[in-house]
Amino acid sequence: MSTSALFRPTTSALRAGLGFRGIHSSRVLAVQASRPRLDATIDANETAGFKYTPGGPILKGTVNDATSFPAPNAAHGSYHWAFERVLSASLIPVMGAAAVSTGSAYPIIDGVLAVSLIIHSHIGFDSIVVDYLHPRKFPVIGPMATWALRGLTGLAVWGVYEFNTNDVGLTELVARLWRA
Amino acid sequence: MIGSIVARRSLLSATGLGPCLRMSVSVPRFLPTQVPASRRLASSQTTSVTAAESVAILNAQREKRPNSPHFTIYQPQITWLASIANRVTGSALSVALYAGSITYLLHPYFPAVESANLVQMVHDLPVWVKGSAKLLFAVPFTFHTFNGIRHLAWDVGYGLSLKGVYVGGYGVLALTAVSSIYLAFFV
Amino acid sequence: MFRPATSALRAVASASSSTATALPLAARAAAFHTSAAERFAQPTGDAPASSTGKASTMKEIKIYRWNPDQPAEKPKLQSYHVDLAQCGPMMLDALIKIKNEIDPTLTFRRSCREGICGSCAMNIDGVNTLACLCRIPKQTNTASKIYPLPHMYIVKDLVPDMTNFYKQYKSVEPFLKNDNPPAQGEFIQSVEDRKKLDGMYECILCACCSTSCPSYWWNQDTYLGPAVLMQAYRWMADSRDSYGAQRKEKMQNTMSLYRCHTIFNCSKTCPKGLNPALAIQKMKYELATE
Repeated sequence: MSTSALFRPTTSALRAGLGFRGIHSSRVLAVQASRPRLDATIDANETAGFKYTPGGPILKGTVNDATSFPAPNAAHGSYHWAFERVLSASLIPVMGAAAVSTGSAYPIIDGVLAVSLIIHSHIGFDSIVVDYLHPRKFPVIGPMATWALRGLTGLAVWGVYEFNTNDVGLTELVARLWRA
Repeated sequence: MIGSIVARRSLLSATGLGPCLRMSVSVPRFLPTQVPASRRLASSQTTSVTAAESVAILNAQREKRPNSPHFTIYQPQITWLASIANRVTGSALSVALYAGSITYLLHPYFPAVESANLVQMVHDLPVWVKGSAKLLFAVPFTFHTFNGIRHLAWDVGYGLSLKGVYVGGYGVLALTAVSSIYLAFFV
Repeated sequence: MFRPATSALRAVASASSSTATALPLAARAAAFHTSAAERFAQPTGDAPASSTGKASTMKEIKIYRWNPDQPAEKPKLQSYHVDLAQCGPMMLDALIKIKNEIDPTLTFRRSCREGICGSCAMNIDGVNTLACLCRIPKQTNTASKIYPLPHMYIVKDLVPDMTNFYKQYKSVEPFLKNDNPPAQGEFIQSVEDRKKLDGMYECILCACCSTSCPSYWWNQDTYLGPAVLMQAYRWMADSRDSYGAQRKEKMQNTMSLYRCHTIFNCSKTCPKGLNPALAIQKMKYELATE
């Protein structure tokens, strides 16, 4: 009598509620099934011919393939974040100083205020572009929006420089308009 | 019969294989060979697919899937309404700043583009228009300022609880209302 | 602690006292081996109002439906009317009752019915929550609306495809990484260090927070979302993990972390009362100051 025959339950044993899984069959098969199959490895970017669009329903790879991270760059990460906070926080005292001074008497404060406001605006607009019009989703409009924003910001800095040097300056303009 | 089971049991305990049999609670009542051919087909017909094939099957299903509704059905809460208001007010003010600055670049060609003319223009407006325009400017300015301070407080770790969010949110709304009315009509 | 047992006993006792006259034998037997909640969810057969003694109050529940077998058909809201007197108190009870008694094709995920598995996450009356922890509003003049988690691709009815969410979770390597394990025994952690993990390790990954986040709606392929970010920080904050610097380095880009604009929808909606926004803020602060 071979070992495998020894472990095979007899019909009567099953009837008596003593059924068990013979180790010769199911256990070995189960171990083999859980062993990674060679053809189970596929590329993490595999979409099986379906077109991947970022944010679309088609996903790359299987659920076991982790999503990837963009290349690390602190200038886009923590430096950017910290700069944005420091700039925003410094706008408060600059704004206060501008409110109690006049642009024509203190042109430095006026200039700092104007340029800070434009950089602050630029960061705000840029985060709108990244949130809603990111180039990975909008390959045409996205880069166009990014470059249009850069161009407009440059023009705005130039314009406010001209205004502050040739005219009354930002602070004085707001004050005069408010009391007009 | 009983004797053979007992003999097998003792053999199992001697070889230490008892536990692997005790695990077999969910045993199929039939061995595959004992199942009638018709039932075997019905109960155990599976197809083996490769990982690439399963990706293809899944993506074919995914392609048809609708996207569930989002901001149209989400409950209006001060959390995200204040956030989008912060963005809208900031954008409105920045658009005004950019538009004004860039328009001034036309000054060399159109000398009329200068502050004195603008101030005179505003001066000639009826009082109620001036008041409304000032309020229209003061509300986004004060809201964005106070909400910005709220955000800066969060960024350094203050008020980062639900209570903090709600107290801060309603506080910003109250400050905005008071300060914008003051700026528009009492300055 | 003993209250559930007592009330169960009371339920059985009252059932058996009234059975002498009304209930058939089968129902009496059922009263012994099924829990109260189970009985609520089962078809009750005849005389529904009399079995609980409450007057019936019909509540309209509108549920998002989409069937992958008819993919061309647009998703729609389908109305169901549930008798609150014959239903358990939670939205999940209502869903199970609808599936059992009205429409077996209604599809949703559920498992533990006690807020620990996170399967039944859905958008109920505009808020993401677990159906098993969400009471059915008593107002019967307005209908309740149930949608799947927002801005997710829908497998069927209330079942969203969570694959991307899980892939993102995998990307933050949510496990202890340390190249220098202690020579013997386990990692020792001080009480204070262990405390830092409170409020983060309890997350059940139901995705209520991530799918309530507008930033996640717009950029969910690259922005990790509150749930995954909190778990990323959970391992950064663990004193036993020695890969904090590498974990933080991964976040140094525009998309993964910094699409968080501290909107706070996540903390507002978390059915477990956790605060993902706080964890994300701590991560940003540490990234900026270290």
